[in-house]
Amino acid sequence: MSRPLRLAGLAVFLLAVFLAVPLAIKAAGRTDFYYTLSSVALLAIASSGVWLMFYIGRINIGQGAFALMGGYVSAILVTSAGISFWLSLPLAGVFCTAVSILVGLPILRLRGVYFAMVTLVLTEVARLLALALPITNGAKGITSIPAPGAIGAFGITLVPAFDTFAERNIAFYYLSTIMMTLCFAALYRLVHSRIGRIFVAMQQNEELASSMGVNVPAMRILAYAISSFLGGVAGAIFIAIAQSIYPSSFTVNDSINFMLNCFVGGLRYVFGPMLGTLVLYFGWDLLFAIGEYQLLIYSGVMVLLMLVLPNGLLSIRFHSWQRSSHKT
Amino acid sequence: MEQVVANGLYLGAQYALVALGLTLIFALMNVLNFAHGQMYVLGGFVTYEIYGQLHLPFVVALLASAITLAVLGGLIERFLFRTVIKRSVREESTMLLAAGIAYFLDAVILLLFGEKQRGVPKIVSGVLRAGDIIMPYDRIVVGGLAILFIVGFILMMQYTKPGRAMRALAQDRIAAQLMGVPVEFYSFLGFALGAMLAGLVGGLLVTITGVNSGIGGPISLKAFLMVMIGGAGVVGGAIAGGFILGMLESVGLTVLHAYGDITYLVIFAALLIFLAIRPNGLMGKPWG
Amino acid sequence: MTPILQVKALTKQFGGLVAVNDVSFDVQPNEILSVIGPNGAGKSTIFKLISSFLRPTRGEVLFKGERISGLAPHIVARKGVVRTFQETTIFKGLTARDSVIVAHHLRSRASLIGYYCETGFARRDEEAFGRSSDEILDFLGLGEVKNEIASNLPHGHLRALGIAIGLAASPQVLLLDEPFAGMNHEETSHAVGLVRAVRQRGVTVLLVEHDMAAVMKISDRIVVINFGSKIAEGTPAQIQQNDRVIEAYLGVEDESIGF
Repeated sequence: MSRPLRLAGLAVFLLAVFLAVPLAIKAAGRTDFYYTLSSVALLAIASSGVWLMFYIGRINIGQGAFALMGGYVSAILVTSAGISFWLSLPLAGVFCTAVSILVGLPILRLRGVYFAMVTLVLTEVARLLALALPITNGAKGITSIPAPGAIGAFGITLVPAFDTFAERNIAFYYLSTIMMTLCFAALYRLVHSRIGRIFVAMQQNEELASSMGVNVPAMRILAYAISSFLGGVAGAIFIAIAQSIYPSSFTVNDSINFMLNCFVGGLRYVFGPMLGTLVLYFGWDLLFAIGEYQLLIYSGVMVLLMLVLPNGLLSIRFHSWQRSSHKT
Repeated sequence: MEQVVANGLYLGAQYALVALGLTLIFALMNVLNFAHGQMYVLGGFVTYEIYGQLHLPFVVALLASAITLAVLGGLIERFLFRTVIKRSVREESTMLLAAGIAYFLDAVILLLFGEKQRGVPKIVSGVLRAGDIIMPYDRIVVGGLAILFIVGFILMMQYTKPGRAMRALAQDRIAAQLMGVPVEFYSFLGFALGAMLAGLVGGLLVTITGVNSGIGGPISLKAFLMVMIGGAGVVGGAIAGGFILGMLESVGLTVLHAYGDITYLVIFAALLIFLAIRPNGLMGKPWG
Repeated sequence: MTPILQVKALTKQFGGLVAVNDVSFDVQPNEILSVIGPNGAGKSTIFKLISSFLRPTRGEVLFKGERISGLAPHIVARKGVVRTFQETTIFKGLTARDSVIVAHHLRSRASLIGYYCETGFARRDEEAFGRSSDEILDFLGLGEVKNEIASNLPHGHLRALGIAIGLAASPQVLLLDEPFAGMNHEETSHAVGLVRAVRQRGVTVLLVEHDMAAVMKISDRIVVINFGSKIAEGTPAQIQQNDRVIEAYLGVEDESIGF
C-alpha cells in the first residue's frame, strides 16, 4: 500500500473511532455500546497477540492465561500496594512478558497441535493457580477495584480521574480505542519491517530460516513475549472496567475465542483480529435478542463463514494483492 | 491402596477409549477434534433417552449412541472438514473449524437436552467385595466393556482391510494414495469411527456418573491431556495416556485430598515439566 | 593448503543405531567434493552434522580451523557454511526475486531495534539487495522467471532457486543436498553447469548425492560412505577403480553407476 493511501486510511479510521462513533451513539442513545466497543477493542488487542503467534507459525490457545495474569497483577498492585492504575498497566505487561519468556523457553520448540495443547493447559493452570494462591484471594477474587485516577504533570491534569466522568464508560472507550490503535499501529510496523519478514520466513520454513542465519529460537521468544505483553495489558484494562477479577474472568473459552477472532478476520492480515473480534463479539451481542438460540445461530454462522471463507473475511478484498510482494 | 489402583484402572479404561477416538482422528487427518467432548456428551444423552427414558435395553441404547455419533461424525467430515481442507491456505484451519463445531454441538445439546444433570438407573446393582477392594458391579461391567471395545478396536486396526488401510493412511498419506488406498473414504470412515468411540464412552459412563451439557469442554481438555502424555497419533500412546491419567486422577483424589482441589494443578505442572523433556509424549510422532 | 572444512572422527548414534561411524575427511578451498553412498548409508546424517542441524555423538567439524559442530545452525550459517534443502520447500508465497531478497535480509547484521525503525536505511538496503538478487538470479539462469511466484516454478527452476537463496547468504562453503535428485538427463546437465558456475564464484561446494553419473562428471574428489563408515576417498577415476566401492554398489544397474 502506498504511503498516502495508508495515511488516508489511518485518518478515516481515527475519525470514525473518535468522532463518528461517539456522535452516532449519542444520536441513538445507546450508551451501552460504549462498553461493548471497549470490550471489542480490548479483546482485539489480546487477539492480535494470538495473531502474531500465528504469524510465526504457532497456534497459541493460551492468551487467556496472560489476560488473567495481567488483570491480577494490576488488581493486586492497585488494591494492595496503592500503585496507580497507569503505572500498574506497564508493570502487568512486563510481568506477563517475563513469565512468557520463562514458559516459552521449553515449550516454543513444540509445533502444531502439541504447542496448541500445551498452551490450552496453560490457561487452565492460570485459573487453578488463581484459585489456589493466597495472593489472588482464591474464588472470592478481588473486588471493589477503584477506577483509574488522574494523570497530571506540572500541576496540569492531562487525564482526569475516571470517576469524574459523567459516563465512565466513555473514558474507558477512549482509553481502549487509543490502546488498540497504538497496538495495531505497532504491529503493522513490525510486520512490515525486517523482523516481519523474518517471522514470515520462520512460519514458512523454520529450518530454511535457520540456515539463512536467523536465530529462530530467539525470534520465537520475541514473538511470544510481545504476544503475552499485549494479552496482559488488555486483561489489565478489562479488569479496570469490570472493577473486579475472579479466577474465572478469563477461561479456556476466551483463549479459544481469541483464536477464532484471528481466524474469522483472516490469518494473513494484520487487521484480521480487529475485524474478527468486531464481527464475532458484536455478532454475539446482537444475537442476544434471540434468546436461547443465540449460541446455535452464532456458532452456525461461524462454521458457515469458515466453509465459505476459509481464509478469513479480509481474504475477499485483498485477493488481488496476493500476486505482488509478500507485504500484507 | 488396591482400591486406588482398581479405581484407576476402571477410569483409565474409559479414558483410554476416549483418547483412542481422538488420536485416531488426529492420525488420519492431522486434526485435533475440539468437539470430541461434545460427542461424548451427545452419546451420553442418547443413551439417557433410550435407556433411561424409553426403558429399552441398555445394549440397544449403547448401539444407538454409537450409530448416532458415527453418522454425525461422518457427516461432519464429509461436508465440513473436507470443504475447509480443500479451500484453506493454512493447516490450522481444521483445528479452528473443530472449535466452531464444538460450540455448535454445545448449542444443539443445550437446546435438545437442557442444562440439567441427567442420570440413568444402574445397569447392574450390587457391589463386589474382594479383600480390601470395594467395587460396584456396574463399574466392573462398564470397565470390562471398555476394555472389550479397546481390544476390538486394536484387532480391527491390525487385521481387517479397513484397519490396515487406515494405518497406511496414518503413516504416509501420499504413499497410501499411490498404493490405491481411497484416502478420502478412509478419512471419512476414521472420523466417523473416532466420533463413535467418543459416543460409546458417553453412553457407558452416563450409567455411572450421569451427564450434563456443560462437561463437553472439560472432557475435551482431558482427552487432549491424555494425548499429550501418551503422544498424538499412536494407538499405544492413547491407551497409555488414558490409563496414566486415570491412575493419576485416582491417586491424586485420594492422596492430595487433604490439600484441597489441587490434583489437576499438580497433574498440569508435572505435564509441563514432562513435555519439556519429552515434547512428543511417550510415543508420539513429531509434528511437521 | 589448509583445508577449509575438516571432518574429524565424526560419529552419530541414535539410541542403539550408529548412523555415522568415525568418518574423517578434509575439504580443500574452492573444490567440489561429493559424498556418495548407497541408500541409507548415512550421507544425509553427515550432511546434517556438518551444517550443525544435528549434534555429533563424537568427533567434530572444523571450519577454517574453528570448531563449528555443536554450534547453533544459524551461527554456523552466519560464519559461512550454508546448506540447501532437499525438499524444495522454499517460501511458497513469494516471488523468486523476493525470496532471494529475503535471504539477503536475513543475513543483515543490524540490531533488532534497527530492524524495527528502519527508514532510509531500509530503502537503500532493499535496492542493494534487489540488485544482488537480480545478479544471482541471472547468474543461475533464472532471470526470466524472477517475478514468478516460487511455488509455480518447475522442478529444475526450484532447485536453482534453492541454490540462489544459498548464494544470497554469501557462503564460503555451500552444502548441496542431493541437487540432482529426480532429474532427467537434460536437467542434470544443466544443474551440473550451475554447480560449476557456483564454484567459479569462489565458493567451495560440498554435495551429497545419489546420482553417480552427475557426481563423476562434476567432482574434484569423492568420499564414499557405506553403512555409516567411509570406505573410499579420491578422485573420480580412483573411485571408479575401487573394489570396495564397486562391491558396495553391487546389484545397482550399470547405467546409474555411469562407468
